[in-house]
Amino acid sequence: MRGTLTLAGKDLRNLLTNPLFYVIAALANVVWSFNYMRGLLQFAQRSLAMSQPGMEAGLSLQREVFLAHISYVHLLFVFLIPALTMRLLAEEKRLRTYDLLLTSPVTATQIALGKFLGGLGAVSVLILISFIYPLATRAVGAYPFVPLLAAYLGLLLVSAVYVAVGLFASALTESIMLSVIMALIFNLMLWFVSQGLGEQAGTAGAVMEYIGLGQHFTGFIMGSIKLNSLVYLCSVIGFFVFLTQRVVESSRWR
Amino acid sequence: MIEVKNLSKNYGDRAAINALNFTVKKGEVVGFLGPNGAGKSTTMKIITGYMAPSSGEVQVAGFDVFENPLEVKRRIGYLPETPPVYHDMFVRDYLTFVANLKGVDKSRVKTLVASALEKTTLNDVAGRLIGNLSKGFKQRVGLAQALVSDPEILVLDEPTVGLDPKQVSEMRDLIRQLRGQHTIILSTHILPEVQASCDKVIIINRGAIVAEDSLENLSKRMSGGGRSIHVRVRRNQDAVVRAIAGVTGVRKVTNAGNSIEIEADAQEETVEQVAALIVNQGAGLVELKVQSLALEDIFIKLTSPGGAA
Ligand SMILES: Nc1ncnc2c1ncn2[C@@H]1O[C@H](COP(=O)(O)OP(=O)(O)OP(=O)(O)O)[C@@H](O)[C@H]1O
Ligand SMILES: [Mg+2]
Repeated sequence: MRGTLTLAGKDLRNLLTNPLFYVIAALANVVWSFNYMRGLLQFAQRSLAMSQPGMEAGLSLQREVFLAHISYVHLLFVFLIPALTMRLLAEEKRLRTYDLLLTSPVTATQIALGKFLGGLGAVSVLILISFIYPLATRAVGAYPFVPLLAAYLGLLLVSAVYVAVGLFASALTESIMLSVIMALIFNLMLWFVSQGLGEQAGTAGAVMEYIGLGQHFTGFIMGSIKLNSLVYLCSVIGFFVFLTQRVVESSRWR
Repeated sequence: MIEVKNLSKNYGDRAAINALNFTVKKGEVVGFLGPNGAGKSTTMKIITGYMAPSSGEVQVAGFDVFENPLEVKRRIGYLPETPPVYHDMFVRDYLTFVANLKGVDKSRVKTLVASALEKTTLNDVAGRLIGNLSKGFKQRVGLAQALVSDPEILVLDEPTVGLDPKQVSEMRDLIRQLRGQHTIILSTHILPEVQASCDKVIIINRGAIVAEDSLENLSKRMSGGGRSIHVRVRRNQDAVVRAIAGVTGVRKVTNAGNSIEIEADAQEETVEQVAALIVNQGAGLVELKVQSLALEDIFIKLTSPGGAA
């Protein structure tokens, strides 16, 4: 436990003090704020045109504004999270600090978990920043809060999937470039597995759609928490952390 | 404290070490000596649990490295060939991180970090980024890292490599000071290092141990009463070399360009005859130095092809 937290704390601090993190956060916020403002203004115009307060009937903030916002946040994460996670293990190997980890009294599981939590911590900071947008909107008008929280839970879980995937990619190589490229490819694969094939009828289509992230994430951002989606996302996270653990463990057997 | 039995390691089908056997007692300072590629680092990596051997076993403080890796790792401080430092961390933060990672008592972390800084005289740079330190200082941070958990055993892989002469002697002093508090294994390919700080020396060559003994015993045993004679003449060097080779008691003569190196037995007559011969040849003797075989010669003898203990 302590080993895990020590590692997580170190990596979180490392990620948050890296200039790259601020570049990423700043870039993301430029995109988010632009789109959020546009969405909100359009929403206000349309509610006005229908000359009724938007929150009561017809138009819902969640559907019209938050959904688009969260989709943008997510879209950026597909690309930005690999940039955050790329160094997690690849850099340790490159700088030989990996030797220190492997000769310290921590297990491969603790190493994988600690790294995962450190990465997730840094991503959570970005998620919290993106949460400020809908939160600030509350100052203007009330809206149902629970569906928004459900959507953010979904965002957190899907981000955790990307962190786990990025960590696994980072475990596979010493090269930071390769690490980031592999993570991107894995992320896109998780999405596109359900595209194309999902259109097909029959079991194959259904299985593909289940394996893809899309269906599950959509459920969350529509404001509903489904048990099978929760189970699915957590298993994907667990699976990639487990794979990372295997790679770390196997490095003793060269 | 450390028991190594029949330890072998192959990289692919290339053997790096082959059936090593040795023990290190509690409190000993052991020098692991061998030329490049002898298998020193490989052995150390296996002892520290960094990697698994192909066969054989290692016990540290009664724990098997492969059955009980955590117990073993708790007891070892390891300085690898490349100091495992994070360039974007501050020295003090880094040492605190390592102390926590090694699982030392929370209440002791601060004092242990302070004492590691003190021992390695890093106090002045405690607040600096490791990435900005010179190579020698990084090496010292690496040593501080090995010391910070106050481990029973220190495994130091070439601790003085890359240091300037002043720092080398400081590092040796430090290792001497650590004697008694820790059991130490250090590897090196420089002899004076072993002479400066070790009780015992294990000489390893091409993955096999060629000698394991205390320093004095080794010198005594190896010189076998032998002498080396160093001669400088002004003229006729080649003729002198040929003549000396015929003297009884001379084992080997080498023409080393501006000097002649002779390996002889321990008889004083041999020296006398060599000297007489040179003088008789009228070669113009300018220098003649007799030494019992030095550790350096032993090392070269043991680790050159065909050499044996
Ligand atoms: N990762 C590896 N893959 C393949 N061969 C290796 C690997 N590491 C070491 N070797 C080989 O194993 C042998 C022993 O290497 P090792 O690093 O243990 O030597 P060493 O005694 O530490 O040498 P040096 O004094 O140069 O540090 C060498 O022949 C080396 O080429
Ligand atoms: Mg080495």
